Amino acid sequence: MTGLISSADQKLVVAAPSKGRLQENALAFFARAGLELQQSRGARDYRGVVRGVEGAEALFVSAGEITARLASGEVHLGVTGEDLVREEIADADRHVELLAPLGFGAANVVVAAPQAWIDVRTMEDLADVSGGFRARRGRGLRVATKYVNTTRRFFAEHHIGDYRIVASSGATEGAPAAGQADLIVDITTTGATLAANGLKVLDDGVILRSQANLVASLTAPWSEAAREAARVILSRIAAEEEARTTREVRAKPADASERLVGQAEIKFGATLLAREDGGQLSFLAPEQQAAQLADWLVAQGAPTATCRKLDYVFRVNNDLSRRLEARLAESKNSQSLGI
Amino acid sequence: MTEPKDRSAAERLDAALARFLDEGFARREPALLQPAGVFLDRLGEEFRGLLFLTTDGAGAELCLRPDYTIPIALDYLGSGAEEPASFVYGGPIFRIGEGEAPQAGLESFGRADREAADAEILGLALEAAAAAGAPPLRARLGDAGLVEAFLDRLDLAPVWRRRLKHAQSGPHQLARLLATPARQNGGAGAGVLAALERSDSVGAKKLVEDLLAIAGITSVGGRSAGEIAERFLEQASLAEGLPAETRALVESFFGIVGAPDAASAALRQLAEEAKLDLEDALDRFDSRANFIAARGLDLAQMRFTTSFAHAIDYYSGFMFEARDAGGTDDAPPLLSGGRYDGLLRSLGAKRDIPAVGAALWINRFDGGRA
Repeated sequence: MTGLISSADQKLVVAAPSKGRLQENALAFFARAGLELQQSRGARDYRGVVRGVEGAEALFVSAGEITARLASGEVHLGVTGEDLVREEIADADRHVELLAPLGFGAANVVVAAPQAWIDVRTMEDLADVSGGFRARRGRGLRVATKYVNTTRRFFAEHHIGDYRIVASSGATEGAPAAGQADLIVDITTTGATLAANGLKVLDDGVILRSQANLVASLTAPWSEAAREAARVILSRIAAEEEARTTREVRAKPADASERLVGQAEIKFGATLLAREDGGQLSFLAPEQQAAQLADWLVAQGAPTATCRKLDYVFRVNNDLSRRLEARLAESKNSQSLGI
Repeated sequence: MTEPKDRSAAERLDAALARFLDEGFARREPALLQPAGVFLDRLGEEFRGLLFLTTDGAGAELCLRPDYTIPIALDYLGSGAEEPASFVYGGPIFRIGEGEAPQAGLESFGRADREAADAEILGLALEAAAAAGAPPLRARLGDAGLVEAFLDRLDLAPVWRRRLKHAQSGPHQLARLLATPARQNGGAGAGVLAALERSDSVGAKKLVEDLLAIAGITSVGGRSAGEIAERFLEQASLAEGLPAETRALVESFFGIVGAPDAASAALRQLAEEAKLDLEDALDRFDSRANFIAARGLDLAQMRFTTSFAHAIDYYSGFMFEARDAGGTDDAPPLLSGGRYDGLLRSLGAKRDIPAVGAALWINRFDGGRA
C-alpha cells in the first residue's frame, strides 16, 4: 500500500475517530493546539481539512479503522487506543510510533475469572488450573475475547498453552455466565461491569493500561510536503503541551548572575527563556514548581516576581518532531538494508 | 553418492516421496483448506499464531493446511480404522514464519509391534532425507513413555505430577518447576489452606461451598465447588514441597544424556538404586535400540535425553529429531517425529490406536540458501 501515490506533494493524512466521546476528546485535543479538524460538506463525508495547515487533510473513521490504516500506511498520523495498536498490528513497534499518550480513553485490558474461583488469584494459579482442566473435562479452558493476539502473547508469557479462544463480538463479560467460556480477556474502565457479571480481575492480570495515543505510521509515504505538515502540527501540539504543563516566571533579582540561573535550574527545574536589558529574567518552570521559584526569586532580592500561564511555547526542535524524524530515518535505513 | 547442491525443493520432495513409496505405503494428500478448530484443540491456542486463518460465510474458522498428521489421522478414522495402515504424503504446508513449506512424511497406524515400528519410521525418515540430498544429520532421541513411567513410580501428589509433566523442557524449566512456590495464594488464601489442613475432600468441599454462599457468589464458570476445594487441598501439599530424595531423583533422572546404550545403563542403575520398577519401559527402550541398530543405523552417533522436549505435546512414546551435523543444537530440525498413541482417541477413536510418524522439512535441506 505504501507508495501508491508517492509524489513529492503527497498530503499528510491525519485521522481522528468518527464518533462518540473519543471523537469529542480527540477534536478537543487538536483544538487545544489550535488545530481545527473540519469535516467537509456535511457530517456524512469522512474526509476533511486541517484548517490553517497546508498540505494536510483530515480523515474521520472509527478507531479500529484508524489503527488498520496506520499499519497499512494510508494514514500518517492518527488518534487511537494503544490496546488496538497492540492487538491489531503485528510487530507494532516496527510499523508505528506511539508519539504521545493523550490522557483520555483510558481503559485496561485485563484477564478476569469467575469470582467463585476463590483459589485463583494470579496467572500462576490459572496456569495450574489450565494444566488440570483437560484431564478433568476433556477440553482446555475457554477464553472469550476480542483481543486474540494480546491474549495469546500474555498467556504464552505465563506458560499457559492449553486453552481455546472463543471469539466474542458482543458483550464478552457475559460469556462465562452464559456457559460459553470459563474466563475472559476484555477491556474495562472501572471493573463495575465485570463485578456485575460475577467476574474478578486476577492480581497480575492487567495486560495493558491503555489510553488514546497520537500515533504515527512508519510505513506511510512520507513526502516532503507530508513531513513539513507533520512538523507544523507536532510543533503546535508540543507547544501547547509545554505551555499547559509549565508557567512563565518573571523577576528582577538583585544579582542576575549565571550562578543564580544555575541554581534556579537545579532547585526548580526551570529553564531561562530570556535575559532582558536591565536585568529582568524570564524563566519557564514546571507548573508545580512555579510558585516556589517566584518566592525564591523574591528572596533573592527581586522586588516582584510574576507567574503566568502561556498559550504556546514553540521550540526550534520539539520533542515530538524529533522522535518522528528519528524513527522515520531508522525505518528507512532498515528498509534499504532489506531487514 | 554425490548430490548436486542446487536441487530444487520440488526435486528433493520427489526424491523423499519416491523412497517412501518404495515401501508400499499409500499416498494421501488431504485438502489444502482445513477446519482450524481441530488443530487448535489438539495443539493449543499457541498454534494459532502459526496458522494462515480465514473464515467461511457461516463464520467457521478455516486455515491453510498447517500439518499433515491430524488430517491423515482423521482420514484413517473416517475409513473405519479397522486394519493397520501406513501412509505417505508430500506437499506444501503453510505456517506463519515458514510461509509455504514443502514437507514429506509418513504415518503408521495400528501396528502392535511398537518398537519395531518406531525404528522403521526413524530409519525411513533418515533414508528419505539422504535421498533428498540432506546434509549429514545428527539425531536426538527422547521417550515420553519412559518419562511417564518414571513419574508414575514416584507416587507424587497430583499437583506435583502435573507440574513435572512439563519437566521435559530443559534444566532451566526443571529448576523452576521443582522450586516450592514461596507464596500460597497471598495472605488471604493462607487462612483457607490452614483451615483445610486436616480436612478430607468432603469437608473441604463443604467449606468452599459455605465460603461462596457467605460471600454471596453464585457459582459461574466451568468449575464446581468440589474442584476448587480439591485444588486448595493440592496447594497444601504443594506448600510442603517435594521430599528431598524425590527431588534429587527427579534431577538425576532428567540429567541423563548420552548414546542410547549408555543412557539405558544409567537409567537401569538409577532405577535399581532408587528401587523403582522401570523394567518394562527400559526393556522397550532397549528393544527399540536393537531394532534401530538392526537397520544399520549407527546408535553410537545418536544422543538420547530424558529431558527431550517437543513443541507438540501429543507425543506419548518415542520421539526424535535430526539436525545438520555441522550446525548447532538450537537450529530448527530437518526432520522430526514420534509416537502418538493417544491422538486418534482424542480425535474420536473408541480406543488408543498405536501411531507413529515422521515429517521432513524439505525447505530446510539446503541450509536456508534457497
